Amino acid sequence: MEELDESQSQLENEKGEIKVNTRSEKDSMQPKGLEPSPFSYEPCSHYVDAPFYDWLTEVSKDLSFADIRSEEVVDEKTWRQIERLLAVEARLLDQDAFERWLLLYVEECVYWIPSERSAHDLRETVALEFHDRRRLLDRVSRLGTGFAYSQIPPSRTARQLSGLEIWPSPDREDEWRARYSFTLAETRVGRSRILAGWNGFVLRQTSSGLKIVVKQINLIDCDSPQGNNSFFL
Amino acid sequence: MTNTSSTKKKENASSDWDWLVQEDRIHRTVYTDDNIFVREMDNVFAGTWVYLLHESQIAQPNDYRLAWIGTREVIVSRNEDGEIQVFSNRCTHRGATVCRERRGNAQSFTCPYHGWRFDNQGKLFGIPGKNAYGPAFKSRDMNLARPAQVASYKGFIFATLNPDAPSLLAHLGNVARYMDEWIEHQGGEDNIVISGGQRYHLDCNWKLVYDNAGDGYHVPFSHQSLLVMTNERYGGGDMTYFADADRSNMHAYGLENGHSIIDQRPDMFANSAWNQQRPQPGRESYVEHVLNTAGSENAQAVLESTVGAGMNLNIFPNLLLIGNQVQVIQPLKVDSVNVYFNATRRRDADVEMNTMRLRTQEDFPIVGEMDDAANFEECQRGLTFSPENEWVDMSRHYETGKDVKGDDVVTGPVTSDLHQRNYYAKWKSLMKANPSLKMRKERLK
Repeated sequence: MEELDESQSQLENEKGEIKVNTRSEKDSMQPKGLEPSPFSYEPCSHYVDAPFYDWLTEVSKDLSFADIRSEEVVDEKTWRQIERLLAVEARLLDQDAFERWLLLYVEECVYWIPSERSAHDLRETVALEFHDRRRLLDRVSRLGTGFAYSQIPPSRTARQLSGLEIWPSPDREDEWRARYSFTLAETRVGRSRILAGWNGFVLRQTSSGLKIVVKQINLIDCDSPQGNNSFFL
Repeated sequence: MTNTSSTKKKENASSDWDWLVQEDRIHRTVYTDDNIFVREMDNVFAGTWVYLLHESQIAQPNDYRLAWIGTREVIVSRNEDGEIQVFSNRCTHRGATVCRERRGNAQSFTCPYHGWRFDNQGKLFGIPGKNAYGPAFKSRDMNLARPAQVASYKGFIFATLNPDAPSLLAHLGNVARYMDEWIEHQGGEDNIVISGGQRYHLDCNWKLVYDNAGDGYHVPFSHQSLLVMTNERYGGGDMTYFADADRSNMHAYGLENGHSIIDQRPDMFANSAWNQQRPQPGRESYVEHVLNTAGSENAQAVLESTVGAGMNLNIFPNLLLIGNQVQVIQPLKVDSVNVYFNATRRRDADVEMNTMRLRTQEDFPIVGEMDDAANFEECQRGLTFSPENEWVDMSRHYETGKDVKGDDVVTGPVTSDLHQRNYYAKWKSLMKANPSLKMRKERLK
């Protein structure tokens, strides 16, 4: 757990300030009329609100649209940066380096595995997984307890990525969207299998470098019964 | 099946159900024997009432969806007038499936093989080149086959192939009053909307899933990662009241016909259940929204109504109402099962509450159920590879005298194996029986 806290303290917000993981005044205020909670659920998740869901729905449509995009809209340097970031993202997961993996994401990030082939509005249909940063930290922490039996022994994975496409976000100058196809070979307790699909991303240039805002994992069989996917896809 | 000489004789005596299922232990072959599984599909699944789906999953005229009576695949379809029919997904000609999508909207089903056409009530209305058939053929009933009985309880659709099975209400018996409480938590029967699902395939016998649904003993062990994580990160929260479950206020209840309930409500709602929820994405913006819309005096009550129902309500053999989810068990083979975690929303709730319900229901399957699933699969392996170890134990609190018989309910400690003992008594009586199983192909009235 110490390692996790250390990596958390290294996180920077978009202005380049170090995010200190202490309770802010706003979070500690007890709204009038509510029962005081004995638990402190930090880091808080104020960013997952109605406008954010609207934006995610728009992003999801854009990522899955059968478009033919011009190849010249992203400069070569940005392309290389994004290509490298996505390769590192996949590799760190293959290496079970989850704390370091989370450093590639902005504070207010999303990890999303839809349960239907055309990702529906998250407000109407349950997802296979939908995590904000706090729940990603829960997942990482859980795997580190030594009691997460679905990952004892842990899955070993190898990801192959291909067909990368990158295009600018329509709503921000410092943002891009990207997608690639993947096959993910997984083996655990002597049994191997292949997961396949495509990943969609929103990436943002921040003062601490290029980061991932959204990762949407689209399994080709997301609406069929799944096996033990209790690692990160 | 791997059998050793010591158990072979007993296993071949398939009528010896009293030996296989004893008061406080079960023979391993009940989980591993192909022949027992085949008989279960007839006697336990086709021979009694099984849950198919919720009416909200085929809400519009001409909506249909596939469902299963054990391993038997059926189409559940709503016609133009809103009537619901259940019929086998098997062309009466050569046996091909007539429907190959899991769900959709259709007025008719055309068999892709030879073009026979059936309306969405299962009635045959078109045979290409019909003149080639004679009077003997025409005297036969060739509509899609319908189960002997279909009935709905407050939107939950059940079917059985057994014409002699008692009515659905009689089968539900006293679990109906707990179903009513669960439905009331959702704001009433017309208020429930199934909203997608998380679906899992497990390499284990279906009963390992059903066993677990009424097991209040496993929580601090199988889910230790969750308890440790919530404790380390937040100082406690969800399910921590299970850590010392035998001293808790929760109980297990054995109900009629193999049904049961683990009632978490006495502890879950003793303090704010909302405060105990493992933190969902958007939790803080939801609290702000509730304060703004419901006002500070009502906000806490709205937050408390957003959480799960606090019940593991187990309706034998394949329906589990757990939290706010409608879970369905679909056996595939003796060591293979699908489990569907169907999520629910409320028709009367605003989008913010329904969104929070969905975020809450997404949490447990991936961080909790997967650890259970790994344990079920390892149980299956152990039961298979070690045939000399013949017995599965279900004797917890069998000899302590703590299971107390009431008029129609047996009440036990929450960690009692009462749930297993209770449903296995029903299972055994069904397996001993010889039910007649009927599918009807005659014309609908």
